[in-house]
Amino acid sequence: MDGQRLPSPYPMPRETAINRPMLSAWREGVLALQQCAACREIFFYPRSLCPQCWSTTLSWIRSDGRGRIISFSQVHRGLPEAFAGEAPVTLAEIEVTEGATLLARVICDRPDAVKSGSAVEVVPLPEALRYPLPTFVLRVAGPP
Amino acid sequence: MPVREIGLIGYGSSIYEKRASLPEFSYLADAARAALASAGLRKIDIDGLAISSTTLAPDNAVTAAEHLGLTLSWAYVSTAGGAGALASVLNAARAIEAGHATHVLCLAGCAQDTAFFKERIARFTGALSDYLTPHGCGGTNGLFGIIQRKHMERYGTRREDLGRIAVDQRANASRNDRALLRTPITIDEYLVAPLVADPLRLYDCVMPCSGAEAVLVGPLDRVPKDKGVRILAGYERHNHPMGEIAPLRGGWELYRDALFNDAGIGPGDMGFVQAYDDYPIMVAIQLEDHGFCEKGGVGAFLARHRMTWEGSLPLNTGGGQLSCGQSGGGGGLIGLVEAVRQLRHEASGRQVAGALHGLVSGYGMVSYGHGLSASSLIVGRQ
Repeated sequence: MDGQRLPSPYPMPRETAINRPMLSAWREGVLALQQCAACREIFFYPRSLCPQCWSTTLSWIRSDGRGRIISFSQVHRGLPEAFAGEAPVTLAEIEVTEGATLLARVICDRPDAVKSGSAVEVVPLPEALRYPLPTFVLRVAGPP
Repeated sequence: MPVREIGLIGYGSSIYEKRASLPEFSYLADAARAALASAGLRKIDIDGLAISSTTLAPDNAVTAAEHLGLTLSWAYVSTAGGAGALASVLNAARAIEAGHATHVLCLAGCAQDTAFFKERIARFTGALSDYLTPHGCGGTNGLFGIIQRKHMERYGTRREDLGRIAVDQRANASRNDRALLRTPITIDEYLVAPLVADPLRLYDCVMPCSGAEAVLVGPLDRVPKDKGVRILAGYERHNHPMGEIAPLRGGWELYRDALFNDAGIGPGDMGFVQAYDDYPIMVAIQLEDHGFCEKGGVGAFLARHRMTWEGSLPLNTGGGQLSCGQSGGGGGLIGLVEAVRQLRHEASGRQVAGALHGLVSGYGMVSYGHGLSASSLIVGRQ
């Protein structure tokens, strides 16, 4: 079995041979990134070749799941049905520790607490299973 | 044989509607008919067709020829979203120069409403569909909210300044019978409008609609001298900057110098600017990248200018997409059609006095975070 899975109310990505390792890792609460063996580029979203050097020798690395918000938006209107009861949805550009940037949702009870520069980390299990893709929460201050 | 200069010899707009009462081909044909009439050409004169539409599939330029009853020697479908229509005009002019066609009809448009748009944008590209829609990004508003916040935080750009783009364009739209949104708005109304994707509010966002735009590309000697519009320069660029998710710049910055060099004039010589206005922040970035002001300086620049048709920087003089509505791919041509109208001095009620040259720019193909494509033309009265 490919990790446990709660029924998700959200639209799902198409699962392919290319993105399956990332989606499987996320079902274990892990953010998986791709790294190019030739040029060492680390990137997200999953691709069949390195966008920098076209090498197809790629490996999956486990991110520590932490990052920093570069910029964000809170979507109040025009949300699809599945998200309408959860407005505002916080969508953020996030730079993770390993250097890759990605777009992801940040779950937050207090939307005002989200700032550019805020530290974030991936949603812990089992709540992570609710979300189709790596999703973040604000990181509470504590030991690194 | 003397070389015939190729330019824009006709233009036309279809009716615009909030909901689609007709199929897409009907809007395209409505704009095409008007373009032929303005050029004094007949249907049989058309031997090239370019279509910029994100909703035409499974149809294409060749099946459009079947539908419209055209025999073609050149057919083109653009792939660059809101930057596609200007790219199609550039390619059409080159195709004519190379002898592949004589008169090319460039069409762009869509039959849709807000509900249809919401469905379509969720599946717009593979990356957007698989890696953004599952997060609930709410179409593209959330993506451009991220870009605008970054511009505001990095450069101190204020909503008070960006808002004047929406306010002045609405004043322009009040002179355009085709615009779906013609009621003037004030900057105070702009600032407190309902939140859509913070920091974006209602008047920052275009309304999807149905409609189409058309231009005819062909030899300028086919029309009277004051009815032909010259293409002084043009460029397109895709996927720049590479790998940045929410960039504050686009492909325009790469070719800006070449663009104005080719035209032999500078930003200060433009009688108007028709910039792709899916959001005011993207208009602002296009002004910066084309060199109207330095990067990050657009807030102060906007504060110094009035953007109405009679202002110091006439901008989207027909109201733009923010007031006319966004007819899918037609949003990439609405600016050029308005530019031709202005340069033929046929923009009654909103004619920019003595307009000789103008800049038109395109932007589009939103994928993982931003629009990948940029395009620009500098056009001039003969």
